Amino acid sequence: MTALLHISRAIDGMNMVLGRILPWAVIIAVLVSAGNALSRKFFQVSSNAWLEAQLYLFGVIFLLPAGYTLLKNGHVRVDILASKLPRRVQLWIEILGVVFLMFPAVLLIVWYGIPNFVASFESGETSPNAGGLARWPAKLLVPLGFGFLLLAGLSHLIKCVGFLMGRCPDPMQPAGSSEEEELMQELKAELTKADDEEGDKK
Amino acid sequence: MTAFLIENIAPIMFFSLIVLMLLGFPVAFSLAANGILFALVGMELDLLSPSLLQVLPQRVFGIMMNDVLLALPFFTFMGLLLERSGMAEDLLETVGQLFGPIRGGLAFAVIAVGALLAATTGVVSASVISMGLISLPIMLRYGYDRSVATGVIAASGTLSQIIPPSLTLIILADQLGRPVGDMYQGAIIPGLVLTGAYMLYVAFIALLRPRKAPSLPTEVMAGRTDKGRSGARSLLVAFIIGSMATWIGMSLLVDPEATRGARIVLSLSGWSLVVFAIACVDRLLSLNLLSQIAQRTIFAMVPPLTLIFLVLGTIFIGVATPTEGGAMGALGALVLALAKQRLNLARFQQAMEATMRLTSFAIFILVGSTVFSLTFRAVNGDLWVEHLLLNLPGGEMGFLIFVSVFVFIAAFFLDFFELAFIVIPLIGPVAETFGIDMVWFGVLIAVNMQTSFMHPPFGLALFYLRSVAPARDYADKVTGQSIARVTTGQIYRGSIPFICIQLAMVILVLMLPEMVTHYKAAHVHDVDPGSVEINVGGADYGSGSPFD
Repeated sequence: MTALLHISRAIDGMNMVLGRILPWAVIIAVLVSAGNALSRKFFQVSSNAWLEAQLYLFGVIFLLPAGYTLLKNGHVRVDILASKLPRRVQLWIEILGVVFLMFPAVLLIVWYGIPNFVASFESGETSPNAGGLARWPAKLLVPLGFGFLLLAGLSHLIKCVGFLMGRCPDPMQPAGSSEEEELMQELKAELTKADDEEGDKK
Repeated sequence: MTAFLIENIAPIMFFSLIVLMLLGFPVAFSLAANGILFALVGMELDLLSPSLLQVLPQRVFGIMMNDVLLALPFFTFMGLLLERSGMAEDLLETVGQLFGPIRGGLAFAVIAVGALLAATTGVVSASVISMGLISLPIMLRYGYDRSVATGVIAASGTLSQIIPPSLTLIILADQLGRPVGDMYQGAIIPGLVLTGAYMLYVAFIALLRPRKAPSLPTEVMAGRTDKGRSGARSLLVAFIIGSMATWIGMSLLVDPEATRGARIVLSLSGWSLVVFAIACVDRLLSLNLLSQIAQRTIFAMVPPLTLIFLVLGTIFIGVATPTEGGAMGALGALVLALAKQRLNLARFQQAMEATMRLTSFAIFILVGSTVFSLTFRAVNGDLWVEHLLLNLPGGEMGFLIFVSVFVFIAAFFLDFFELAFIVIPLIGPVAETFGIDMVWFGVLIAVNMQTSFMHPPFGLALFYLRSVAPARDYADKVTGQSIARVTTGQIYRGSIPFICIQLAMVILVLMLPEMVTHYKAAHVHDVDPGSVEINVGGADYGSGSPFD
């Protein structure tokens, strides 16, 4: 178990690193997309390569962080009924879910995704649009993203079992605070500050 | 047994999906697993070809190449940045001051600001949290009825579902296969009518039950002129000058054949520029023709209006695709947040990280649903659904009423992305078979989903309002009075009148499709593809359709 928990920690570490680097793709995509619109309007210049680049970045934004999102317990659940179940039952559902629901689907896409990428790479496939980009980087994103997800699933499985054995903390608690909570904290802090200043004046 | 399975594989697949989803495992994987499980069953029964699942990576690749879905991270990012730019606070404060002296004024202010926030941030939770923390304590302080106060805040927060450039409308447009611009044009009037209906309700309360929605005492209004005037008059004058200048400018400069949406957006932005110019001149030359409150209101209102122009305007006029409009909006929001000095590196990174996480989980629901529907279609599940729904009593109207009720109920269990990516692909084709206008259909679904946000006990708007409303009695910081806590019952009761308004709105959209379908007027100048004749002499090469 200890060895497994080490593996789990290593996987989580890798996904955390991805979770720090990948967000920058968001602002890059924003700049590329706005740049496309502006250059088309003002310079009548439109490049298929740049139009496709923003879509590749979209792939980076949703595929590569799939494992990180799982780590942060970010994938949506319908937990209206399930949240009423005892904690241990929920953990068992989680374990069976990872093994029988998540692994088959993810493995299958990785399994078929690799030859799909290799074929594209070896044939030097490019986009059918004039001046378009090579296709293989986009096709690589699919098995890569699902590969990270597979690893995150493995780590999650180890932690669920570990928690049932009392060896590690509950993996289903969200690690960070949510965006909404942060907004609340911030607004509250600002409002109290404003009130205090008003009080000082009086 | 086998025969039964073959006969009923589609309904069995559908109900096993419901069971799997209720287990509480992430929906994306339950969907995909269900698709794969039944693909294997189908292959075992010789219903399906063994190569069926090989196309999956290509399907994921197809989602990546969907330009419209890229708008999802852009609009999310824009909303998160604006949330932090302090725009909501500025707006609520100034507009509240302005309307305060009128009976029910704070409630009007909340609705007006809710509509403006809806058109910029587009996030229900953010609007409700801001209004609940800023406006609710003031309303409680001056004796608003608790249910009126909470109801107005929750309902105004949900306006972001329906007022363009709502993310909801983009995803619906994508799933129903219609241009986002059409969906926006179709949703404008229902969105504005709804805002008006909320205001009418507050006016009704203020007239008949003045104690439930009092005016604010004049001595608490900051920014009054020395003579004790509210300062609203100079603002009104500035607004009227702005309107006149815009009207003259529009009739001189803008092509009369421009679409309605383009004209609305152009006048709005022209108007806000003129008013902004007046305020700037007044401040720079120290003319002080405008009251302090008038100036502050203008400076708070112009940035969101400019952003709306940046996003909607570029889309309506055709400069940018909806996705690029979202990118421009995000860039605008970034500039705004930087200008207000509300942004540091940590917050910026947080906003990007939250955007990425939301995009990832939302698109993964679509990935899961793609795997599901690959098999579901292969076993003719789509025909099964179509057969069920086509035979509903009442034909087209019966179908629409069924869809409204179904979406309303399903929204208790599923969030917006689940509805859009799982339910819409099932019912959309049926609507198409009926020959229903798909934009109208989409707006109808959007209004229904909006209702479910404020419906007790699961409505998200109510949930966020509960988490920011005072849960304990507290001493008010200004008056020192003890103020009783807001109970959950009060919040639930407050939502009831607004749910009724919402239901009336659903019925109105059903009875008056013209409220939505006017978007077609924008297309009368388009060329009808059926009437085009192309006569090309010479060799007849390449004239065949690629689909022949």
